[in-house]
Amino acid sequence: MIGKSVPRKESENKVTGTAKYTDDFTTAGLLYAKILTSPHAHANITSIDSTKAEKLPGVRTIITGQDYPILTGSAIEDRPILAIDKIRYFGEPIAIVVADSEYEAQEACKYIDVRYELLPVIHTVHEALAGIKPFIHENLLQYYQVKKMAPNPKQNTANHIKIRKGNIDKGRKLSEVTVNVDVSLPPSDHAAMETRSVRAEIVANGQVHIHSSSQAPFAIKQNICKYFMLNESDVIVHCPLVGGGFGGKAAVQLELLAYVASKAVGGRLVSLTNTREDDFVTSPVHIGMSANVKLGATKTGKFKMCEIKFLFDAGAYVDESSDITTTAATNCTGPYNIDHVWCDSLCVYTNHTYATSFRGYGHGELTFAIERAIDTLANKLQIDSIELRKLNAIKTGDTTPTQAPLTKSNIGNTLKCIQRVKELIDWKQGEIIHLSDRIVRAKGISCLWKTSLSPTDATSGAIITFNQDGSINLHVGLVEIGQGTKTVLAQILAESMKVDISKIHVKMEVDTSVSPNHWKTVASTGIYMVGNAVLDAAENAKKQLKVTASYALRCSPDQLEVGNSQIYVKHDPKRFINLGTAAFGYKYSNGNAIGGEVIGQGSFIMHHLTEIDSHTGKGIGGPEWTVGAQAVEVELDRKTFSYKIKKAISVIDAGKILNPKAARGQVTGAMSMGLSWASREGFIYDDNGKVENNQFRTYKTFIFDEQPEYIVEFISTPQLDAPYGARPLGEHGIIGMPAALANSLSKAAGVSLNQLPLFPETIWKHARGEAIDYK
Amino acid sequence: MITNNFEYHQPFTAAKAIELFQQLDKEGKSPVYFNGGTEIITMLRINAFYNNTQAVINIRNIPECNAIGFQGDHFIIGGSITLAHLEEREEFPLLRKNCGRIADHTSREKITIAGNICGSIMYKEAILPLLLTDATLLIMSELGIREVPIHEIFDNKINLDHGTFIVQIAIKKSYLNLQFVSKKITKIGRIGYPVLTVNGLQTEEKVRFAFSGLCAFPFRSYAIEKILNSVADSFEEKLSAVIKALPAPILDDAHGSSAYREFVLRYLLEESLTKLKVR
Repeated sequence: MIGKSVPRKESENKVTGTAKYTDDFTTAGLLYAKILTSPHAHANITSIDSTKAEKLPGVRTIITGQDYPILTGSAIEDRPILAIDKIRYFGEPIAIVVADSEYEAQEACKYIDVRYELLPVIHTVHEALAGIKPFIHENLLQYYQVKKMAPNPKQNTANHIKIRKGNIDKGRKLSEVTVNVDVSLPPSDHAAMETRSVRAEIVANGQVHIHSSSQAPFAIKQNICKYFMLNESDVIVHCPLVGGGFGGKAAVQLELLAYVASKAVGGRLVSLTNTREDDFVTSPVHIGMSANVKLGATKTGKFKMCEIKFLFDAGAYVDESSDITTTAATNCTGPYNIDHVWCDSLCVYTNHTYATSFRGYGHGELTFAIERAIDTLANKLQIDSIELRKLNAIKTGDTTPTQAPLTKSNIGNTLKCIQRVKELIDWKQGEIIHLSDRIVRAKGISCLWKTSLSPTDATSGAIITFNQDGSINLHVGLVEIGQGTKTVLAQILAESMKVDISKIHVKMEVDTSVSPNHWKTVASTGIYMVGNAVLDAAENAKKQLKVTASYALRCSPDQLEVGNSQIYVKHDPKRFINLGTAAFGYKYSNGNAIGGEVIGQGSFIMHHLTEIDSHTGKGIGGPEWTVGAQAVEVELDRKTFSYKIKKAISVIDAGKILNPKAARGQVTGAMSMGLSWASREGFIYDDNGKVENNQFRTYKTFIFDEQPEYIVEFISTPQLDAPYGARPLGEHGIIGMPAALANSLSKAAGVSLNQLPLFPETIWKHARGEAIDYK
Repeated sequence: MITNNFEYHQPFTAAKAIELFQQLDKEGKSPVYFNGGTEIITMLRINAFYNNTQAVINIRNIPECNAIGFQGDHFIIGGSITLAHLEEREEFPLLRKNCGRIADHTSREKITIAGNICGSIMYKEAILPLLLTDATLLIMSELGIREVPIHEIFDNKINLDHGTFIVQIAIKKSYLNLQFVSKKITKIGRIGYPVLTVNGLQTEEKVRFAFSGLCAFPFRSYAIEKILNSVADSFEEKLSAVIKALPAPILDDAHGSSAYREFVLRYLLEESLTKLKVR
């Protein structure tokens, strides 16, 4: 079963439209909630008057921030669930209306009279650091820190991560050539097909039921218990299939609002679903960044030092931004071995929508910075940019910027990936080819690496039960968000139990009251964490099955083997008992019984990870680094600056490939997302901080006929502690795409393109020397 | 989600539509005619427009509004004909080409030609071929159908009298198959609002030009046509004269800065003039 392109378990339901998502539900008596959001980006709320709105037909109740004066946050508790006294971003929730119908709830929002006193808007990380008053969070130092932070209210910063590897002075001295590159990219969106949706109910016995399109059902449970002082056993979270997450659904936001909405109407079932506009600007977005890279090398191209400053645009609240700031710092060099590394990474508040995790989790951003610097250096040194990358590629025996040792298991083969990409992009044909006096074909390269910054004690579990026909049920806490992991977990179980994939049933929905815990469905860690738990559970079940079978087959359990839906004697396979029989105990001919139901249990916990030292960054931040190399080929019209992306290539060392077509699908999807992000995605703010493109009418994503040719290949250096040697690959296709696109277009246009997104107008402005940082 | 409650009427004759409009207007319901509905629906759901509307009159089932074909010397297009349909028709290649790049295909299946040229969204690219071919609009009012030359009623936008609607559009046959250019540049990609759409038509006397995305409204300018038809002037002289002769400032917004639009104008005009022959 391993290595086969098994179709997804849920695909028939999806393509026929019968698969159910959170909002595909209705029942008599269901109430609807709508959020009144802020039309301003920075303002004091002087008054809220709901009297008129409360009297409208169908309206049950209206809730404002004063009703729930609590602060929330996964790293620092800085965010009220509904604005209290102050607005910090355009689209921030101010009030919730609960009504009999969705339209009555939305209509009532218009009649809530909110008065504001406008404040100067902090548009950029640079303005934030300059400390323009009033600060975004006046009481920043009073906030409870869930994780250790280093906030500075006067600079509007929530955290400052320092990496100090080697001796930077020595590195500077050893550098014969240094480049200094500034890059930036604006906040953008996940733009998942399904907007965020949640339903909450408090039943008579006090149990809270939350149904959510979430990547983090267990985090929802913990959050609701914590903020509303409930027992964990009283909060049950249900996650059906999710229509795309990309990190955006790992944040907990609407669930808290739906809970208070239900509570305010006596626990009745309340549905809350984002409009596309709210999904764009009210719920958390993809982080923006400005960065400066100084990269020093010898004349022969050996990297000697790297000094990086990252300014991450967290927006109005921190959420995951602090950890993204950390991850970018701890992996700041990309997959290159550099002895002397300094990095200062700041998590900066602005009056933008707050950011949360996004596919790649800081790695796409750091890669854009370092890979633009590498191409700039190659240009300056007049060294072939692929040879420069090969010369410095990281390998077993080297250390990361946090001085984590790289072993033959925790790092793949970067060099092999680069070499294969070089062949696939036909590098020797030339990096720049003039097709006519106007059209230039150019090729750009980027390497990538990624680790996951999970808690050092993140856990997963798996439960296996059996049916009498010998088929097997698998229960895990991982959410199916379209990534196909549940099918691959079924393959892992089928392989371990030596049965056909059709015998494995995976429970698609997660129910936190019965599903085993899983940290979060994030960070491409599903196969590593849950897969290991599944293998553990399979071993556990086999052990139990063998004990029961040993009574029937009158031999020691050690002499038995499980396979083909049977438990059989190793040296005499004709002596066997059916799996479906043994799984429910063994009945002797006189009626006596022994054994009992077999329930396989398995678990996994991260191991050997350490916290990062706050002065030097020293520590082991992740279990492994998946490496890869990517290339993009473009054709640019030098007269009009319009361009076509012709080819996109990924070669990723993903260890053992468990499901080739699924793996290719994940990588291709991520590449497409990366090209869309790099070429056209980014919020546009007006002078008052209002988002101008909060609809697909104006926020453009890649469409079908714009897709280039995708070439995806894998290198297979096994990760020794992962199921069958598989490495994470879910996010990785996105990581090098912005850098590879910018590198190819920079060559084609003959100018340095260091700002995203890369609209033809952006290239034209650079060519005219008029480029400006994003606002 | 549309929060306004409104009445929905679906008359089957033009006369009934007019009668309904007058009646609903008298009742204070601020009625609007409804064709493809893309604009009314999308604007209503974000409370951006039509906020007072308490009644819509769907004119899409009126037979005359769905007519298409030749009548005497004219090619007739019913106001309710969709852009997707026009994209398939071969009679008027310039219009066909423009229609194929307005919005995405799903929307084009709904958007009608009358809706596109009368709507509130400023680009109205379907009107450019009509301006270039001196089209005639057949407008229904309580007095019956009246034929109005498009230039008489179009002044940055179509100024329909209250309660009237376009039943058909008539284009002289002799204009349909002239040499033309239709060029569109968006911020990125094939589909989207125009940074600039240029239409050019080569008649016997001169080359005609119309633009969308350059100013806050689509337009055809005789002054600009005069400049572009000059045989004596160089392209650079023509370009700077065109920019001086624009009827309004060049648009400057999130889709394209005015400087960029001017840059795009330069190369689109250059390409267009190369293709069309100034005599």
